[in-house]
Amino acid sequence: MSESSVNTPTEQAANAAKGEAYFTIVWRQFKKHKFAYWSLWMLAPIFGLAIFAPAIASNQPFIFFDGDETLYPWFRAIFNPDEPVDYFFNMAMIAFVPWCVLAIVSSSRWKKRGIPGRSRVLYVSAQYIAAIVVVTLLFMIPGIRPNNRYFSRQFVAEEFQSEGTHGIYPPIRFGSIEGDLPSAYQPPMYRKAEGMKDVNDGDLHVMGTDDIGRDVLVRMLYGTRISMSVGFVAVAIYMTIGVIIGALAGYFGGIIDIMISRVIEVVLLFPAFFLILTLVAMIGPSIYMIMVVIGLTRWPTIARLIRGEVLKQRSIDYTYAARALGSSDFRIIFRHILPNSLSPALVSAPFGIAGAIILEAGLSLLGFGVRAPTPTWGILLKLGNSNYEYWWLIVIPSLAMFFTVTIFNLVGSGMRDAMDPRLRV
Amino acid sequence: MIPTLFGVTVVSFCIMQLAPGDPLRTQLSAKGEQGKSSGTREAYLIQKRDLKLDKPLLLNFRNFHDYRESMRAAAFFQSRTKNELVEALTKLSGSPTDAESRRRLRFLHELDIDDFDERLNDPDKRERFAVAISGFVQIYCENTGEYGVPAAIELLQSSELDRRTKIGLIRCVDLMVVEAHQFVYSRNLSDSETPLIIRVWKTWWDREQHTMSPLDPDRQAVLKRQLATMSGEQSRSKLFALIEDEFLFDLPDMRFFAETLLGESTLAEKSICTIILNLYVSRPLENIAKPSADDAEVQQVTENWLAHYEPRQSVYEPSFVSQLVNVVADTQYAYMVRRLVTFQFGRSALKTKEPVSEKLWSAFIVSAPLMLMAQLAIYFVSIPLGVFCSVARGKLIDRIVSLILFFLYSVPPFVAGMLFLLFFCYGDYVRWFPMERLHGQGSDEYGMVRYGVDYLWHSFLPVTCLSLFSLAALAMYSRSSMLDVIDQDYIRTARAKGVPMGRVIYVHGLRNALIPILTLFSNFLPAMLGGSVLIEYIFNIPGMGRLSWESIQQKDFPTLMALVYVQAIVVLLSILLTDILYVFVDPRISFEGQGKR
Repeated sequence: MSESSVNTPTEQAANAAKGEAYFTIVWRQFKKHKFAYWSLWMLAPIFGLAIFAPAIASNQPFIFFDGDETLYPWFRAIFNPDEPVDYFFNMAMIAFVPWCVLAIVSSSRWKKRGIPGRSRVLYVSAQYIAAIVVVTLLFMIPGIRPNNRYFSRQFVAEEFQSEGTHGIYPPIRFGSIEGDLPSAYQPPMYRKAEGMKDVNDGDLHVMGTDDIGRDVLVRMLYGTRISMSVGFVAVAIYMTIGVIIGALAGYFGGIIDIMISRVIEVVLLFPAFFLILTLVAMIGPSIYMIMVVIGLTRWPTIARLIRGEVLKQRSIDYTYAARALGSSDFRIIFRHILPNSLSPALVSAPFGIAGAIILEAGLSLLGFGVRAPTPTWGILLKLGNSNYEYWWLIVIPSLAMFFTVTIFNLVGSGMRDAMDPRLRV
Repeated sequence: MIPTLFGVTVVSFCIMQLAPGDPLRTQLSAKGEQGKSSGTREAYLIQKRDLKLDKPLLLNFRNFHDYRESMRAAAFFQSRTKNELVEALTKLSGSPTDAESRRRLRFLHELDIDDFDERLNDPDKRERFAVAISGFVQIYCENTGEYGVPAAIELLQSSELDRRTKIGLIRCVDLMVVEAHQFVYSRNLSDSETPLIIRVWKTWWDREQHTMSPLDPDRQAVLKRQLATMSGEQSRSKLFALIEDEFLFDLPDMRFFAETLLGESTLAEKSICTIILNLYVSRPLENIAKPSADDAEVQQVTENWLAHYEPRQSVYEPSFVSQLVNVVADTQYAYMVRRLVTFQFGRSALKTKEPVSEKLWSAFIVSAPLMLMAQLAIYFVSIPLGVFCSVARGKLIDRIVSLILFFLYSVPPFVAGMLFLLFFCYGDYVRWFPMERLHGQGSDEYGMVRYGVDYLWHSFLPVTCLSLFSLAALAMYSRSSMLDVIDQDYIRTARAKGVPMGRVIYVHGLRNALIPILTLFSNFLPAMLGGSVLIEYIFNIPGMGRLSWESIQQKDFPTLMALVYVQAIVVLLSILLTDILYVFVDPRISFEGQGKR
C-alpha cells in the first residue's frame, strides 16, 4: 500500500513525460513526410463523406409539407437504419455539432492547465467516439431507440411526387436501398427522359445506376461506411488479440511462449485469404462476421512482432527496476513494456486497414460478402464483373478503392518512417 | 516441425467439424430427407462408416463400456409401436421405481436429447416425442457401431428377453452392422475369406437342404463340365457373361453348387459357386425379423446373426492391448490424420465422386505454370529495379520509379485484373488480349509453337495481375535493403580498393542485400496461392484458386480439407526451403554447432 502510494505519482510523471516526448518526436518526423501528412488530412473528407452520407444523399426529405401537416421523414430514417453500422455513423453525424462545441469549450478550459492542443483534440475525439459507440450499443436494445411515433408515419415514394406537396431534400434525392427498375444499368450522367412525372433537378445519376436502378454515387457513399468500419474494426480486433497474446508470450517465456509460438506458426501456415474465405462461407455472409473472421485470422503477425519487441524490452534495466519496486506482472506488461514496444504493431495498422478494405471487397466480389441490400464497393465490382459493358461499375469502385488504399498506405509509410527509422523505404 | 504439422492436422480437423450440419446429410438432402428411402439410407450409412463419422472425436472408450443395459433398453424402444411408446413414456415421466424403467430412463438420458425433461413431462408433446425417440435410438445404434454387437448377440442368445424385445434387438443389431454377410469373394481371391463365406452358405444350406430334391447323375455331370470351363476362364467379364447371358441353371441345380462349395474344391470353383448361388438364391439369410414374427423365425434370424458374429468374434472382442490402443487409434481424429499423412483424400462429396487427388492435380497443373511465371517475373524484375533505384538514390528517376511502385502497391490485384480486362479486352477498338481461359477455341489442333504462343498470349494478363502487387512490394523492399548495404564500410573499402562499380554492386552489395529479401521468399508463395482465388475467378481459369472457390460454394468438404492441408504443407516446406537457402547465401549461418539458428 505504502509502496504504491510512493511510486505512482513519480512513475506517472515519468511515463507522461516520456510518452509525450516520444509522440512529439514521432509527430515532428511524420510531418516531414509531406505525402503522408497530407493523406492524413485526406482521411477527414473520406470520413466526412461516410458520416454525412444521409445529409448528402437520401430519398427522404428533411421537412415535408403535406398540405395540412408537417413531417420529418429524414429524421425518422436516421433513427431507424437497417444496419448497426449505419446507427454508428448516423449518431456520429448527429453528435458532430455537440462535439465541435465540446472541443472548443473544453480546449479553452484545458489551455489554462497547460495541456497542448493536439492531446486535447485527441482526448475529446476519443470521448466522442466512445460516447457514440455506447449510444449505438444502447440503441440496439429494443425500446430504448427513439420510437417511430416521434417522427410520424412512413413515406412511400409516390407520395413525394403528388400534387400540392413540397419538401426540403438533401442535394441528391436517391436512397441507397430503393431502386427504380426501368432505369437499371444506365451510364453516368444519365437523366430520365423529360416529360416523365417525377423528373426534377435532383434526378441526375452522376455515376450511373446499378442492376436495379439505384444510383451508384449514393451506393458508393454508403459503401464508404461499410469499408471504413470493416477496416477499422477488423484491425482493432486483431491488434488487440495480437498485442495481448504477443505480450504474454514474450514476457512469460517458457512453456507459454512455446505453445503460443506454435499456434502462431500453425495459423500463419494457412493462406490467409483462403482461410477467411472458408470461415466466412461456413458462418454465412454478414459484415460483422467478416470483421470478426479477419480479426481472428490476422493476429499472428502482430503477436509475433510484439513478442519479439517484448523479449527485447524484458531484459532492459527499467523492467528490472519496475520489478524491484514491486510492480505486478500485469502492471509491468501494460504500463512499462507495452508502451515501449507498440510501435512496430502500430506501424502495420494503416496497412492492415487498407488490406481489410481490399479483403472485404474481394469477398463481396466472390459472393461471400455482405447480404444483398447493403451497399458496398465490392458488390458494385461484382455487378461490373458480370458484364464488362457496364464499365462504370468497375471503374468507379476501383478508383475509390485505389484512392482509399493509397491514402492508408501513405499514412502507414509515414508512420513507419517516423516511428521506426530502420524500416524506412 | 512435428508439433506444427500436428497443429495443421488439428486445424484441418476443426474445419471439418465446424462445417455446418453433417456433411453427408447436406449432401444426401439433395436426394431427399435422409432415411426416407432405404437405398439412400444405405448409402448414407456406408459413407458415414467410410469417413468414420460414427466414431468419437478424440478419445474412444467404447471398448470398456458395458452395452448390455443400453442394448436392452434400445431393443425395447425399437420393438414398440407408437402407442405403446407413448404409454411407456407416460410411465417413465411419473418417476417409476422398478429397475426396468429406471434402466430405460437412464438410457434415454444417455441419448443426449435437447430439452429432454421438458418434452418427457409434457403430455401434449408426448406423441411426437415418441416418434422422435425411435429416430434417436436409431442414430444411437448407428453411432455405437460394432461395439454394441457382442452385448446384443449375448442378449439374443440368452432367454431373459421376450420375443418382441428380441425382434427389437435384431433391428438394433441390423442398424449397428453394415453389410452383415459376405456372400461372394471380393475381386482378389484369397483363402482368408473362405471361412466367412462358407459359414454363411452352410447356415443357408442346413436350413434349405431338405427342400431340394437330389439331382440325377447326368445333370450333375453337365454341371461339373460347365464349372470346369468357367473356372478355367481367366477374364472376369467373360466369366460373368458365361454365367449371366445364358440361363443355364435351374433352382434345383443349386444343390450341386452348394455341395461343391461346402465340399472339397479349389478357390476358383468356390468363387464361381458363390457367384452363381448369390445370383439364383434370393435372400439366403434374413437379417431382420418382421414385427409379427414367431419364435421360430426369431430363432432363425438369431442364427443368421450368429453366422455373422462367430467368424468375426476376434474382431468384435479384441484383446486388452488392442482395446487400449483403440482408445486413441479408433477415433475420427486418428483416422483423419492417417488419411492426411498418407495423402489419401478420398473422393469428392459431389455427385461426380471424383477422387480428390485427381481434382487437385488437374487444378494444380493449370495454376502451377502461371504461378511459376509470376514468381519469375517478380524476382527478375523487382530485384534489378530495386538495385537500380538504390544506385540512383535521390535522382529524379529514382523518385519517379518509387512513386510508380508505391501506386502499384496500392492497387489490389483483382482490381488491376478487372481494369485490364475492361481496357485491353473489352470494347470496340482495343482488343489485344482474350477475355478468359488459358487456351483459345480449337487450340488442341495447333502445332507446338502456335499452342505455346496462344498460351502465352492468354496467360499474359493473369500473370501480370498476379505479379504486380508483389513485384512492387519486393522492389521497394530490395531498394531499402540495398540502401542499407551500400552505406556499409566494406562497400566503401571495396570502392577504395578500386573494384569496379558494377562488381561492387552486384557481388559485394547484392549478395548481402539478398539475405533479408530471402525471408520474403517464404511469404510470397502462400500469397500467390491465396491471391489467385480472385484472379482465377476473374479470368475464369480452372486452377487451384477456382477449385477452392468452387468447393467452398458447393460444400465439397473432402476437397476443401485436402486443399487447406496441401497448401499448409506447401507453406511449411517453403519455410524450410528458405531456411536451407540461408545457409548458402549467408556464410555466417550454418546448421552445425553454435551457428544453429
